[in-house]
Amino acid sequence: MIKNKLAKVVFGSTFLTAMVVPAIALAQEGEAAAEVAVDPAVGVAKYAAAGAAICVAALSAAYAQSRIGAAGAGTLAERPEAGTTLIVLMALPEVIVLLGFVIAFMIGTA
Amino acid sequence: MSPARPAVKVVKYRPAGRDYGYQNARIRGMRSRLLRQSFFDELLAAKDIGAMIQKMIETEYGPQLEDRILHGRTATQVDEALKDNMQSTFRKVLSHCNNEATTLVTTLLGRWDLFNVKTIVRAKHMKLEAEELLDSLIAVGQLSQIDNEELARQGDIRGLVDTLSTWGLPFAVPLRAVLPEYEESDDLSLLELALDRYYYEWAAKRLKGWRENHRIARRFLAAQVDTMNLLTSIRLLNADLAPEEAARFFLPGGDVVDEALFLELSVMSDVDEVFRRVKKTQYGKPLDEAALLYMEKGSVSVFERALEDFLFRQAFGTGKGDPLGIGLTISYLWAKANEVTNLRIVVKGVSVGMPEERMREELIVV
Repeated sequence: MIKNKLAKVVFGSTFLTAMVVPAIALAQEGEAAAEVAVDPAVGVAKYAAAGAAICVAALSAAYAQSRIGAAGAGTLAERPEAGTTLIVLMALPEVIVLLGFVIAFMIGTA
Repeated sequence: MSPARPAVKVVKYRPAGRDYGYQNARIRGMRSRLLRQSFFDELLAAKDIGAMIQKMIETEYGPQLEDRILHGRTATQVDEALKDNMQSTFRKVLSHCNNEATTLVTTLLGRWDLFNVKTIVRAKHMKLEAEELLDSLIAVGQLSQIDNEELARQGDIRGLVDTLSTWGLPFAVPLRAVLPEYEESDDLSLLELALDRYYYEWAAKRLKGWRENHRIARRFLAAQVDTMNLLTSIRLLNADLAPEEAARFFLPGGDVVDEALFLELSVMSDVDEVFRRVKKTQYGKPLDEAALLYMEKGSVSVFERALEDFLFRQAFGTGKGDPLGIGLTISYLWAKANEVTNLRIVVKGVSVGMPEERMREELIVV
């Protein structure tokens, strides 16, 4: 039950971010649009794509970390000396988020 | 006055559903502490039981050994410590299993319950006292050591069946069904066959499912049935039984040895013929290796040993597949059972002064 609630909160907030961030960005873009004529549909698509990039990357990293965390807890219980290696393994999926962020940034500034 | 705080409920972490990450990580850790071949070499060279205890106390068996040697540094106490360790290890593994794995593992571990109940049945048939058979019982299935001891204390087989019925245990069903026939004929094989048949049918039903993990467990169970049928057919070679009489000993549920093949094997003239018939199956190789030994010794027990080794290898093999599947658990449990069996052989061997080479021959798949 808790697991489901938590999943709903995580998914909801990520989805909200993916939708709200492009909207805010688009509002800012709207001010600039007065100066340069840009097709509004392209603007929406661009920011939605940037939001989706970071959203999917974050969810993927979260999933990977949950699996690594569960296995890591098991390993740590049996072999505490493997702690340092586990911290490195736990941190590895963060790279996915960083890459997602970079891609989102590149889309946003294109 | 503030309202009383609700009592804190401590919940032990148990992975849900089919999440094998935590469970398999713990089992990998436990597997890394299984004893190596070099340790067995040192143990075999030990001069006496004291030297063995000295070596073993630094291993996973240390806590149980420390408890037991308070009652004396004897082979019996070391043997008890090994059994204690095996029981606690199996219970630990079960406590970390997720829902799916719990079902699969408890079904496969039912084999030990079957073994215990059959041992008690045999002992009651032979009018042995409880103390004489307690050494042979290992409570790693659903029956605890206390349950086994209580069953062993029953005066006769009817008492045993009544106790099983009172506890609502499923083994009472097949025993009760054949009890009148047994009491009339005094034929122990009736009870043993009924128990075997009941367990393997029950287990096959519990392991039904389309998932890979179910398939792995089912294949392993089928290998157990096959090896039992093969062994029975070899034992029946010189019995000159009619096919319908031989069919009584067949256990359903195997992958390779079906009823037709079983009957065909049972009426063959010698072991060579049996070997030629099954040499293209997975059982060809172990039987081939055992056939040479059979020529030397002339005892069917060499086939029993070869098929037992094969079964252990099958169990170890299940751990080589999916790293997030049931295979690792099955592989570890059987490896642990193998290790404890080998240690018990060495302990008994050293305590009676058995030569090292003879003990090496007795060890299973080291």
